[in-house]
Amino acid sequence: MSDTVEKKIKNYRTAPFDARFPNTNQTRNCFQNYLDFHRCNKALSAKGQDVAPCDWYHRVYKTMCPMSWVAKWDDQIEAGSFPGKI
Amino acid sequence: MLGTVSRQLKSHPALVPLFVFIGGGMCMSGAYLVRLAFGPHVSWNRNGNPEPWNKTAPTEQHKFYAVNMDYSKLKKEGPDF
Repeated sequence: MSDTVEKKIKNYRTAPFDARFPNTNQTRNCFQNYLDFHRCNKALSAKGQDVAPCDWYHRVYKTMCPMSWVAKWDDQIEAGSFPGKI
Repeated sequence: MLGTVSRQLKSHPALVPLFVFIGGGMCMSGAYLVRLAFGPHVSWNRNGNPEPWNKTAPTEQHKFYAVNMDYSKLKKEGPDF
């Protein structure tokens, strides 16, 4: 499982189609991947495993999300005021 | 009020298609709203069911009509955790 994820990350071109978000408005896709990245980090480091597979979500949200949003959310996470559940 | 309407309709029967089409349009838009409300797009219960769109299979189609999209070939992308 992890080496296929590594291969997928290495061959990454752009975010693939996600059936959960089929319409033009991809806001939720961006936010969901951002949340999944942080949740994945938290879950895998709590289990003591390598967090490298979480890089997939990182790539996807970097593709999808506007930089200003990512910067704002990162600041909110550091300040502890991030509204999403991580 | 319904009595007045039906009396006036009897004297102007050409107005019946108007009611039919307006009523049909209202029913169709209401039905689409109900379809969206029951779908996985909205989270109604923030504590019990916070992200219902995450509970669907990767091959499930939520759109009403999808052009040019083969849903049977999709699979879950990201790694599990």
